[in-house]
Amino acid sequence: MRMTFMVARRLLHAFLLILAVLVLNFLLIHLAPGDPADVIAGEMGGATEEMLADIRKNYGLDKPVYVQLGLYLGRALQGDLGQSFFYNAPVLDLVAGRAGATILLVTTALLFAILVGTLLGVLASHKPKGIVSGLVTLISVIGYSAPIFWTGMMLVILFAWVYPIFPIANMYDITKGGGIFSRMIDILYHLVLPAVTLGIVYLAQYARLTRASMLEILGSDYIRTARAKGVAEIKVYGHHALRNAILPVVTIAGLQFGSIISGAVLVETVFSWPGLGTLAFDAILARDYPTILGILFFSSVLVIVANLITDFIYRLVDPRIRKEG
Amino acid sequence: MAAVDNNIQIVQSQSPLREAVRAFRQSWAGMLGILILTLVILFTFAGPLVYPVDPFEIVWAPLTPPGVAEQAPLGTDYLGRDILAGLVHGGSATLYVGLVAGFITITIGILVGAFAGFYRGFVDEFLMRVTEFFQVLPALLFAMVLVTLFSPTIYVIALAIGIVSWPTTARLTRAEFLRIRSLEYVNAARSIGARNQRIIWRVILPNALAPLIVAATLTIGIAILFEAGLSFLGLGDPNVFSWGLMIGAGREYILDGWWVVTLPGFMIFLTVLGFSLVGDGLNDAFNPKLRER
Amino acid sequence: MRKLGFMVAATAMLMTVGTAAIGQADEPKNGGTLVIGTTQKARHLNPAVQSGIATAMPGTQIFATPLRFNDKWEAQPYLAESWSVSDDGKSITLKLRENAKFHDGKPITSEDVAFSLQTVKENHPFKSMFAPVTGVDTPDPLTAVINFDKPHPAAFLAMSSALLPIIPKHVYGDGQDPKSHPANNAPVGSGPFKFVEFKPGEYIILEKNPDYFIEGRPYLDRIIIKNYKDPTSVALAMDTEEINMYPFLAPTKDIARLKKNDKLVVTDRGYEAVGPINWLAFNTQNEYLKDKKVRQAIAYAMDRDFVINALLAGQSKAATGPIVPGSPFYADNAEKYDVDLDKANAMLDEAGFARGDGDMRFKLTIDYIPGSAELQKGVAEYLKSQLKKVGIDVELRASPDFPTWAKRVGGHDFDMSMDIVFNWGDPVIGVHRTYLCDNIKKGVIWSNTQSYCNEEVDKLLNEAGSELNQEKRIALYKEAQEIIVDDAPLVYINVLPYHTAYNKQIGNPPLTIWGAMSPLDEVYIK
Repeated sequence: MRMTFMVARRLLHAFLLILAVLVLNFLLIHLAPGDPADVIAGEMGGATEEMLADIRKNYGLDKPVYVQLGLYLGRALQGDLGQSFFYNAPVLDLVAGRAGATILLVTTALLFAILVGTLLGVLASHKPKGIVSGLVTLISVIGYSAPIFWTGMMLVILFAWVYPIFPIANMYDITKGGGIFSRMIDILYHLVLPAVTLGIVYLAQYARLTRASMLEILGSDYIRTARAKGVAEIKVYGHHALRNAILPVVTIAGLQFGSIISGAVLVETVFSWPGLGTLAFDAILARDYPTILGILFFSSVLVIVANLITDFIYRLVDPRIRKEG
Repeated sequence: MAAVDNNIQIVQSQSPLREAVRAFRQSWAGMLGILILTLVILFTFAGPLVYPVDPFEIVWAPLTPPGVAEQAPLGTDYLGRDILAGLVHGGSATLYVGLVAGFITITIGILVGAFAGFYRGFVDEFLMRVTEFFQVLPALLFAMVLVTLFSPTIYVIALAIGIVSWPTTARLTRAEFLRIRSLEYVNAARSIGARNQRIIWRVILPNALAPLIVAATLTIGIAILFEAGLSFLGLGDPNVFSWGLMIGAGREYILDGWWVVTLPGFMIFLTVLGFSLVGDGLNDAFNPKLRER
Repeated sequence: MRKLGFMVAATAMLMTVGTAAIGQADEPKNGGTLVIGTTQKARHLNPAVQSGIATAMPGTQIFATPLRFNDKWEAQPYLAESWSVSDDGKSITLKLRENAKFHDGKPITSEDVAFSLQTVKENHPFKSMFAPVTGVDTPDPLTAVINFDKPHPAAFLAMSSALLPIIPKHVYGDGQDPKSHPANNAPVGSGPFKFVEFKPGEYIILEKNPDYFIEGRPYLDRIIIKNYKDPTSVALAMDTEEINMYPFLAPTKDIARLKKNDKLVVTDRGYEAVGPINWLAFNTQNEYLKDKKVRQAIAYAMDRDFVINALLAGQSKAATGPIVPGSPFYADNAEKYDVDLDKANAMLDEAGFARGDGDMRFKLTIDYIPGSAELQKGVAEYLKSQLKKVGIDVELRASPDFPTWAKRVGGHDFDMSMDIVFNWGDPVIGVHRTYLCDNIKKGVIWSNTQSYCNEEVDKLLNEAGSELNQEKRIALYKEAQEIIVDDAPLVYINVLPYHTAYNKQIGNPPLTIWGAMSPLDEVYIK
């Protein structure tokens, strides 16, 4: 009963956030200097007064602002995010066509960062002054301080000229035939560099986080007891300590979804990954406002959903939190 | 009233500050950070005096590699402009945007966090909802939208970065305020009739400064990364020479001349590294407990 | 008999010549995929309502046009197997092929031709193409008679390439706005290739049309047009043989690099009709630039040879007038403005602008199209340093994106701007628009944004536009060009260094005057 109530409350909350993002989207395009009709006309290569009036009518720009907001919200909630100024297609179609690639990239990078990050963190906690610890520090220095697109470009230079093993652009080779299976292999092959670039930033954070919580847990009474009882070292790490150390990593990862999407925009641009990031980049060059705002909206929804999922997982895993509203 | 303030300052800050400076001096990260930042600042502000070549001027054949032409010791970009001149002249704009954006971020963050943490209740609820809303928007995309809509000048860029990055600071400030507001000396100040504004800014804030200073240092670094990212996407200020602009313009040429993006990117890396090391050092200094990590 | 140019040849006789194959003795083979790399992203695939290379390349594969052109500016039969011009020059009669069908199996009739022409006339940005058309008669399903209110020789080029795609009336005639018609993203045409898939900003896939109206063609099974984010990536894909053709290749470093690859051929043929000119435009309403002497002085200050040989690595040809070399209407008679700084200085003194503060006479701004660093920004920066030498203080005005630039220049809010304008085959289509007084249209980019007006030029251009005799037409353009170049509303700099790089495996590469913007039904893979 309490659980159902909580779920309903969370969902309502998420819905309100989505509504707020939509209102913001609407305000942004109306607060911006200049007439949206002018912008559309500019993209079409200029227009006369007559054409401007036509555009205003077509895009509903001639109605009062609150009417426009109402219409906008109504349409958006039905999934109609408007028509792209550049492509002859609804924004929703463009976004839907690219969302999969971004989600694939982001989740792969996250999984990579969580798996390798916790592994490194555990190894580092074993020998706080060892090589792995040094490596973690080095990666975290790069991850924190190097612009992510720069790291990506360094990898491009490296893999284009020095060791041409991995492809440095696109998601798959469209000219290659073959079935779904070989296409999937091709995608994974193309995914390596972008996912690693994006993952490195978070990998270091998770490694540090794991190391810290591992050190704390390993020093706790209950691990000491386990050790005293003669539990094998591997079991101490794997079974007792790691389980407690990975929880904060998963939580943080869920909350970082928004920042990872931001990183993905840059990484996609570097590696021509056909996701929302490259779509946003093209849309900005063309001043395609509906598409830019559609991407902002859609990725915000992704973040909201990711937060919801993290929240639920956390509640399921850690019973202590369930009591709170 | 004044007596109370003085007392608090004496009790709360003097000896810990001295302790913190001592601890900072012992932190290798902090000292290395200071060293790097000093070098970067020297390079950026003294560099143009020593090397007064106009970064916009075409000096040699396009995409000349480093070490080939005397006129361009670090090579030229796609138009034949001197990379070294670009590095020397591009730093101040990058630092400027970073500092201004960092300042905006911290200011909004402290204001929101302080009010939320101090007043609690409805104010807290409302402000935290707003904060949460801003955290849901992917920061870079939001900044891209703002800069696109309001034209890319360095002021708009700095403001946009500030607008999208304040929530972290707000949450931190709120947590600190929640912790400190129930401490004894706050109650003491309240009992002698100090007004809320005074308690917020004169009593609680000075005691919450330590983590905020650490956050501010890191925020500047993040803001510089942000500016670089926007420039890379072609949303930098085209009329101001910055490292980010060099990367944005050189992006198409990475396979023709590695130096065009590698060098300005490295400068950004160094600068951000400097700020984050100083942040680490400050963190060590203010949190003696954690120094063991 | 007088020597006849292509227009006259077309008007004088009925032509039933087959398409001249360009290329060597190799026997074309069936099969294979042509992969074209480009940075140009198509908004949609219907060239009837959209100009530009991005739509034209797939558009000319999907849609057939009444005519096509060979590499000698000669009209060839395509959907129309023959044509004739009335004695007064005011109507053109097209005889359509009997066996031509749309990709959905419906036959192509004169109704479709009339409908397509009407759609293009109403929606295509090139208004001058069919402006004199008063209507199209359809006496029978295979005969279309196009009527004009005056002779209109430009109609021939306007009926080729991507300019008059024959679109199916039974699809587009449903009352929806053709500019945003859903079929534009998945079009039904009659050209050598059928639409398969269009992923905006990523790729376009086309496949062989087995019922193509030209027997035995096309040779290729598929054409894939792939989008890349920048020219370097396309050049790299050419090196790795990920793609086998790269048309509209312009950055000189990439041209030079690909020329070194001995698996490739890099040619500048195939861009004669496009006729892309890189120029410096003046706002002749500006208080300094309204003086012809000032404009001429700036022209003398620019060293065209330096731009071409140093900035553009010698990969580009000089442009010296409104019409590109290679066009039948090109003439070599006008002033070239070879660099002469002393003369430029003297002219500015004469115009009454003495050097003042900081040794400068006056200040001007210069705009440029963003995203074309080498041709636009690079030359603008060069002009800044060069004009300093004659005492003009130039400030560069960057635009963050194309729409911003278009709005400034289209809105006449500029002093000087770099610009790239295409000739588009016939001067009536791509040249007149820049100079006619009645085409000073504020808000419209690539109209007469210079606000240049000379009645004599207007008279000559209008006369040339409706002159059916090719020699007389050439003479009229020659005369107009001389006046325009002397008035100097623009400084002509260079022809864009457009090149096509293709793998040596490719047979019959597209080298007609329309290059890759023509049906690739003769291309094959060796």
